[in-house]
Parts: sequence; structure tokens; C-alpha cells
Amino acid sequence: MNLDSMRRYATDEVVDAVVIGTGAGGAPLLARLAAAGLKVVALEAGPNFDPVRFAFDETLADEIYWTEERLSGGTTPEAFGANNSGTGVGGSTLHWGAFTPRADQRDLKLRTETGEGIDWPLDYDDLKPFYEQVEGFIGVSGPAAYPWDSQRRYPLSPVPRNAPARIMAQACEGLGIRVADAPAAVVSRDFAQEGGGTRKACINCGFCHQGCRNGAKTSMDVTYLPLAVAHGAQIRPMCRVHGTERDGMGRITAVTYRQDGTERRQRCAAVFLCAGAVESPRLLLHLGLANGSGQVGRNYMGHVATQVWGTFAGEVRMNRGYPSSLISEDMVRPADADFAGGYLMQSLGVLPLTFGNTVARSRGLWGPALTDYLARYNHFAGIGINGETLPCDANVLTLSDEVDAFGVPKARIDFGYGPNEDRLNDHATRTMTAIWEAAGASDIWVAQRVAHTLGTCRMGRDGDTAVVDPFGRSFEVPNLWISDGSTFPSSLSANPALTIMALSLRTAEAFLRSR
Amino acid sequence: MFCLHFLGGSAREWEDTKRYLDPHLICIPLDLPGFGDAAHIARTSVDEMADYVIDRIAERGQSRWWIAGHSMGAKIALVIARRAEDGDPKLAGLDGLVLLAGSPPSPEPMSDDKRRDMIAWISADEKTRTLRAGAFIDQNTGAPLNEAARTAAIDDVLRADPKAWTAWLQEGSREDWRRRIGILRTPALVLSGSKDADLGPAAQICLMLPHLANARHVVIEGASHLLPIECPKAVADLICEMRTLPIAVASDPACVLDSYASLIASHRVNSRLRAALAARASAGSAPYRPCVLDAVEFSILRALIDRVLPQSSDTCIDIGARIEARLSDGFGDGWRFADLPSDGEAYAAALRTLDAAARATHGIGFTALPDETKEALITAVAAGELPTVAGDLDGRQMTKWFEDLRSDAVRIYLAHPAALARLGFSGIGAGGDDVADMPGFSEFRINSREPWEPISEAEAGR
Repeated sequence: MNLDSMRRYATDEVVDAVVIGTGAGGAPLLARLAAAGLKVVALEAGPNFDPVRFAFDETLADEIYWTEERLSGGTTPEAFGANNSGTGVGGSTLHWGAFTPRADQRDLKLRTETGEGIDWPLDYDDLKPFYEQVEGFIGVSGPAAYPWDSQRRYPLSPVPRNAPARIMAQACEGLGIRVADAPAAVVSRDFAQEGGGTRKACINCGFCHQGCRNGAKTSMDVTYLPLAVAHGAQIRPMCRVHGTERDGMGRITAVTYRQDGTERRQRCAAVFLCAGAVESPRLLLHLGLANGSGQVGRNYMGHVATQVWGTFAGEVRMNRGYPSSLISEDMVRPADADFAGGYLMQSLGVLPLTFGNTVARSRGLWGPALTDYLARYNHFAGIGINGETLPCDANVLTLSDEVDAFGVPKARIDFGYGPNEDRLNDHATRTMTAIWEAAGASDIWVAQRVAHTLGTCRMGRDGDTAVVDPFGRSFEVPNLWISDGSTFPSSLSANPALTIMALSLRTAEAFLRSR
Repeated sequence: MFCLHFLGGSAREWEDTKRYLDPHLICIPLDLPGFGDAAHIARTSVDEMADYVIDRIAERGQSRWWIAGHSMGAKIALVIARRAEDGDPKLAGLDGLVLLAGSPPSPEPMSDDKRRDMIAWISADEKTRTLRAGAFIDQNTGAPLNEAARTAAIDDVLRADPKAWTAWLQEGSREDWRRRIGILRTPALVLSGSKDADLGPAAQICLMLPHLANARHVVIEGASHLLPIECPKAVADLICEMRTLPIAVASDPACVLDSYASLIASHRVNSRLRAALAARASAGSAPYRPCVLDAVEFSILRALIDRVLPQSSDTCIDIGARIEARLSDGFGDGWRFADLPSDGEAYAAALRTLDAAARATHGIGFTALPDETKEALITAVAAGELPTVAGDLDGRQMTKWFEDLRSDAVRIYLAHPAALARLGFSGIGAGGDDVADMPGFSEFRINSREPWEPISEAEAGR
């Protein structure tokens, strides 16, 4: 994004806030604080990209993924890199899928409903105004009537359904499963972005995960960050935070970071840690900060993200169009569930490398069976889920004894499904397989997958059992706030980014009230 | 052609071969230090022997030359070829390598018992020496030699300095030159005897060919280890054939269908992508030199990938080289299984483990196994059932590494324009350089190709 004319602050000036990370957790609050007249500086570990350079290629997109090594353990080790965190101004919103369901209000009270998991220390009504604010601001496209929430209205009409969505819709209709055009943070028409220029309508290229070339897809660098800069925020790319300075009261007085090999130090009155559910707890654990509860790193969660694939006689060409253009929330509470919580379903169009990687890892093919299968690319379509994962003691992020190039220990993430995830996964696999059978798919197979990074700095009402309060403020370090997926007490069945943005704005309001 | 002899041989072992080669090629047999007429010269390490030969080559001042090495002499020849390729001014003009039953850059496969026994008798009493030298020559020949050749060969063994003989067995043959030799691009003829026990065809495939980018391997049926003495005419004929039928220089032959190349060239494809696709299509035209893996490990990787992701002859992408390059760059994909070591270490350890399992179950290295035996081992790796020993990766680790390998291979394959062409992938054509005016897609129905979209090779073949 264009940072040429942004305001600049001296490192020895005490700015009102330093924001660490410019993704879905950091960017909205950066914009809100700047709009309130605060002096704010964002430190981004990655580079500042010009989206024009994104090139419709999966390998060239490596530059927007967080490819520093993490160690994955546990019984269902999670893949990172292209599967999850991002790098660059805009964070992982540069490569996210822009699929924007809201949290289901029952998911926020799962403990009360089922005795499993944990309740969030806030209600759907606390989030709703922020959801509406975010959806209006970033331009979410969606159906005129949302089958699972009669009051919901989306600002833009839906993007076209791709072929997998058409196949899934027809099959679901026959099975009595409700579907709708997916809520997608992709503008279906030219869109005047508040704080920025005009974002061109989506061209249906299918490369959301490789970086959007024309700004049609919401990423922070075409939405909240231009607004932040317009209001006087400074964004410093290629700045890797590795330390803090604190006063006698335990308040953070400065953030230390490395930029182009040079050590720097920004004085500040408050810090917002928004580096995601792996890098945020990693930094806190490394610094021994804000962990009186012992909860930092605990209850790591990835979503159950199983996919079912099939081959169709006709050409599907699933690379064309918005990749996940159909949603069903019918399984958020299935009538025949033998598990707590539920899952969302979406249609899937996936590009060759990502698909081939799934085939190679999950399907266990090699030899002519592998090359011949890949050659049928134009005939595949898939369905996937995003399923509730309960918090669990065994699922934990720790520091390994290997260090990275900055001398900081690498993160080790142990993750595995418990009985609830296994039962949910079985149910989802049966459901998706039935849909693909009804659709006439042949050679149906199941890809086991885990997605997203959540938990590790959970929010709660009590400093003994939680890292931050319901607004993201540390119980222990009074001027430290956390805003990213790490604060989620439970995973929810909804994909997380929209909720992270809504919480970010809510955190900003709380911070402004607290001054 | 400078000719270097085997352990216990001398320049004389080339006499018959030289006669058959004349007048096509001038043979210049040399005695290595400690042997033949150079028995008094005490230079026993591989480096010292190579230095000695290099001085002899430099004295001759040939503008174009070959070097042939038999057994021990082959290892010296390989070192000289490496120095020549690295630009040693004394060695300008090297045009070819001939390696006969060669001792490879790796420590030579030989049992400890055999090594001890050979060291013992060479310094024994004269009668024992004579008796055992005869047995040594007989053990290393397929059909019995004629009496004159046999007598000359035994005489050479007895002429050798026992110190040089012992030094080779204890040290020179065990020196590990795998990384220093790397992969040579000099055209090479590799000869092996079908009856050779330790340095026969399988050892040449597993330990010698990995170091040669441009090699022709010929097995001489019925012969054992003393090829220039046993079958000088066959050896001479094969060398002459190499002169008249030059060994093709290997290259990455993957080519992109014309129709797909036209799409890549069109305005629908942006410049950065076009340049990246061109770079991927051209990479691999020079022989690849591995950095993280040694040449032997690298050859096992390539042999494995040939089974994991077999390609048609027209899309033959050098996936192994690209994986190795990624390991060398240290550029990962953001994560690894916590119970595997770092990617480079994991690859090296896994390939060694696979090779050790091949040797343990079938007596030869993985690359020399027939296809169905390779397949059985791969199936065992995938199932976590590969027999492994302490110090190797265990079965469970091998399964996880094999998942990583499949992923790495597939992602490299599908990044290549030849593979995308095979799929009929249209995504590259979503838009060119003008981001304000990109066509994208407007057709999403089943069986509704936009007119410009490529079709898959499978579809085209119908």
C-alpha cells in the first residue's frame, strides 16, 4: 500500500500506542485509535507489498505466507505456512479466503448449552454492532436473505457461484439441506472505500489465497490501514518486535524491535499485541510477560477443516470464480449430533498446487495413480467444513529449544482431536459424502485437515484463569492489550477473521473509554 | 588416454588394451606411487597419488586428453576430473573419463575380514605371498587368465610396496570423497564385470553413477574385476565406441505444449508470472550439483521420485534437483513435523535409512533394485513398516517424511508450465499487467469452457 505521505513519529516520542501486527486484529483498532486523534505506530514484521505484483501463481505467493519454521506435534499436527499465518502489511488478510460468517450466538455459550467447552465472557449482542460496522466498512457481499438469521442484511449482492457451488447447491436441495450464497468480503461491484480509493469489482479470478491484485478482496492494506494512515497512523514494515521495556509498575514503556538489522526502540504509553495465536503467545512466553495465570500458550485450537473431494464427468474448472461461494449453516446444531457444537459447510474450488498438496499428504497416492489423478484437475470439486474444536489441556503452544534467526525460540504447537472433534468429524464426513454421492461424484475421498490458529491467550472474567479481560486487556500488565485469534476462549464454528475484526473495534472502544 | 591401474597392478596391465586401441587413441599407462616401477615412491593418500599423476599429465602437455582408471585408479581419476572441472590450469583439455570396476568416491564396500586378510598376507613370508598373490588374481577374474597374463599380474602384486598396499586398504579406499567429487559433467564410460563381487554392476549404479551427470554404464558379461587384463578387446571396443558415439549431455527435457506456450505469451498472462514460468521451464539445463545431500543420497532421491511421481518422457521435470535446491536455500514452507529433524537433515537421514533397508533386505542399494522391489520398499515406508535400525529414522518418522516428500514433489511438479499444460489449467490467464482491466472469468457452469481456455492433454487425446 502507499505509505509515502503517512505521518511519521520519532522513536523517542512517547506515542499513545504501538500496535504489533497489521492483520485482522491490529488494523481495525489502529484505524479507530488514529481516527480518535491518537498517535499510533504499527510495527509489521513483513514487507509492504504493492498488490499489483501479485501474479496469479501459487508458488510466487510464498512471499505473503509466514514461512518461518514452526514445529507441529500432537496427534493431528497442523500445517502452517500457506495454510495459516501471513506476513506483510495486512498480515494474513493478504491471503485469507475472505469467507465471513458471523459467530453463531449458541457457540458463544457452548458450556451453558452442553456442559462442554467454555462460555465466552460476552454475548452475541455485544458483537453484533461491531459485525455490522465491519461488514459495512469492508464491503461484504452476501445473499439478500440469510436463511439462518432473518434480520441480517449484507451491503453488497453476492459474487457469482462457481461450479462447485452450483453442484453442491443442487445436491443439497435434493437432500433438504439449506444453502445460501456465502458471505464474502469480496466486493461484487466497484466499491468506494471509506478512507481509501475505489476498489474494483471482483473479476472472479479464483486467486484469493495468493493475494488480490485489484483490491476487490478485503485485506487490511486496502481497507482499515489506508483509513488509519489517513488519520495519522504510521505503519513501519519489516520491523520485528522481540522485546519490551517496563517501569517499576510493570507497565510497558517501550517496544524494542529490529529493522533492517538495526535495533530500535519505540517509546509508548500502551501496546496492542496483534501478531496472531502463534506469534503473540510466543513473544509473551519468550519475554515472560503477562502469564501470571499460566494460560499463555494453553488451549491452542485449530478448526476441524475436513474436506470431501469427488470427480465429475463434466468439466468443473474449479479455479474459476470466488473459491468458497456457497455456505450452509444447517449443521451448526445438527438434530442427530452426538457431539457438542457443530460445523459450517462450504463449497470448495482449490488451485492445483494447494489441491495437489492435499492429495499428496491426505490421500496417500504415489506413482502413476498420483500423476494420472492430478491430470483430471478440471473435473474435481470439493466441500469442506469449519468445525468446532473444544479447548483442551493437551493442545498447547510451547517454546522449543531451537531458535530462529532473531534468537527467539521457535514455537512448538501440539494439537490433537479429542472425542468431540472425532465425532463431529465423523458426522461431517458422512454428511459431505452423502452430498457428493447425491451430486453424482465418483472417486469420493476424504482429506483430513486442520485450519486456523486460535486460543493461547484466552479472554475471561478472572485473571487466575484467563490472560485478558473481555475487552482484550491484560489482567497483569495494565497497558498491554491483545487483539487477535489468540483471545478466543473457544473456536466457534465460524471462520474467525470477521470476529477478530469485530473484537478489534470493540477493544479500541474500550481502550478509548479507559483513557 | 592416461591409464591408472588397480591395487597390485601396474602400467603393464594396460598392454593388451593399448594394442587394441592403437592407432585410434594413444594410451599412456602410468605407475601409481608404491606400484610397478614407482614402487619406491611413498605417496599413499588419494590426494598425494592424484598430485603425482597430475604432474605426469602436465609433463606430457596434451591439449586434449582422457583419463582411464581401473578400480583404485578410478578413484584417483575421479579426483583429477574434479580438479580439471574446477579449472586447474595443469589439467586443461580433459574430454572423457573411463572408469573400470571403479573404486567409488565413497568408502569402498569391502568386508573387514577380507581387508584384514589382504593386509596380513602381503607382508608374510615369500612363499605365502606368492601363493596368496596367485589366489588374489584368480579370485578377481571370471574365466581363468592365460598363463602369461596371470604370471605378469602376480609379478606386479609382488612388486608392490606392501606399505602402499596396506595404506590403500586401511586408508585410501576408505577416504570419503563423496562431497568433494560431487557430480562431474565430464562424459564418462563406466564398465563393470557381471561377476565382480564388491565393485560389480550394483555398486557402480549405487555409488559411482550418482557422481556422473553424463555417463554410459556397460556391464561386461562373464568378466570379474580385472577388466583390462580379462577382456582387453571388449574394453578397447567400448572405448572406441564412446569416441564415435559421444555420450549425450543430460538436460531437463520438459517442454511445454505449443498451445499452452501461446497462452503464456498472450496478454492474458501477467509479466511476472510469464517470467516465473519461463524460469521454471529453463531451470535444470546444466547438471545440478547438490549442496545439502551428497551425490549418492541425491541419486537415491531421484530414483525415489521417479517412482513417486513418474512423468511421461515429454514432461520430465528434474524434481529432485529442485527439492535439493530448496533444501540448500533453507527456504521452508512454514512448519515441520516436530518429531522430524530439520528438512535437510530429515531428507539425508531418510534417504540413508531407505538405502540401508534396501541393503539389509536385498543386499544392494535402492537405486540398483528392480522396480517391483523398489515399490515394495516404498509401500513399507508409507505404511510405517520399513525395517530400520537404531540411529536411522524409525518407521513412523519415515512415514511422515514420505508425506513431506510427496508434498514437495507435487508442489514442484505443479508449478511447472509443462504440468499445468497437462492439466489444462486456465488460472494463469485470469489477467495481464493492466490491473484496471483484467478479464478474469465470467463463465462458471459445468462443461462450459471459455473459448480461450486450454484443454487438458487427457481431453485433447479423446
